[in-house]
Amino acid sequence: MRISSLSKNIILVVFLASIFLLLNYTGYSKKIKNIFYFISVSIQGVFWKAGGGVSEFFGTIIEIKNLKNENEDLRKKIQELSFQIAQLEELKRENEVLRESLGIGLEKEFSLILSKIVSKEASGDFILIEKGKKDRVTKGMAVITPEKALVGKIEEVYDDFSRVILLSNKEICFDAKIPQRDAAGLIKGKGNSQLSISLLPREKEISVGDIVVTAALGGIFPEGLLVGEINEVERSDVQSFQQAEIGPAFDITKVQELFIITKSR
Amino acid sequence: MKKILFLILLTYFLTLFQSSFVVFFNVRGMVPNLVLIFIFLFNIFEKPSENSGIAAAAAGGFFLDIFSGGHLGINLIILTALSFLIKYFLKNIFTLPFSKKL
Repeated sequence: MRISSLSKNIILVVFLASIFLLLNYTGYSKKIKNIFYFISVSIQGVFWKAGGGVSEFFGTIIEIKNLKNENEDLRKKIQELSFQIAQLEELKRENEVLRESLGIGLEKEFSLILSKIVSKEASGDFILIEKGKKDRVTKGMAVITPEKALVGKIEEVYDDFSRVILLSNKEICFDAKIPQRDAAGLIKGKGNSQLSISLLPREKEISVGDIVVTAALGGIFPEGLLVGEINEVERSDVQSFQQAEIGPAFDITKVQELFIITKSR
Repeated sequence: MKKILFLILLTYFLTLFQSSFVVFFNVRGMVPNLVLIFIFLFNIFEKPSENSGIAAAAAGGFFLDIFSGGHLGINLIILTALSFLIKYFLKNIFTLPFSKKL
């Protein structure tokens, strides 16, 4: 039987593709992916660092005009925040004393695993990080930046790596609150590093710049993690709830290391 | 054979480059799919009688699968189908003014 070279190619590719499809329904595709990630991690580390450096360089050049103003604003903000921190430290101490005297347990801190980002997927809001099953990472753990800003949660675990689903992913949905206004709402990812919060009660005065943190309701993420800042509020007299756009607190291009929360209070 | 090996390595590094370096230059979170662009252009510019375009598409699809979420084989099938389509068009439907090898 004379098979033309083209049909031979077709048969070969169909054969390979069906092997891969079979692989997906056993555990083997994960092992293969893990092997490749393992081989590539050193090169990707170099690329990631280089990318950060180059984009910062160009970013600085583009922003040079604004840098002075931004600098001034940030200094002012730091002063305000330092003052607030001093006040909050007082409250924290008072809180601990009261808790002890009442016999309620003290608030525990998170236990964390440190990890580096390896790569971000081109399609979809996922990133790959350098810790996996071997480091006792399990599915569902929350991932944060060193500044306690929420990044996402672990969606798939390989031997040495894990895949994190970012907050901005369209599948993500969780409860959050705006402590300043005492309002709670539902956050949905909108893709492309955008977030939105909806189901906010109409009576509350939400304004641009309000800080949004996670709430404890859903049990998906630990409470009190920074989500972002309100960018734009949408309220209409007809609807019973308000909506707002949120600028996420984390910028995946400016973050080198992440923490994985293993156990929360 | 050497050409195919070279193409496999090239698509491998292109995938790494795309997922770790180009990510920093995103527009609203989106990044150009360099592998897709490369495979597309490579298949268009190559002589339709040659087959290394298909091998490049298979390698590109495979690496895209590894370094992205879905099941293994999704990007593989898509890219190889794309390359077959291009070859078929170039062989049977019309020829482009440049028919020299890449």
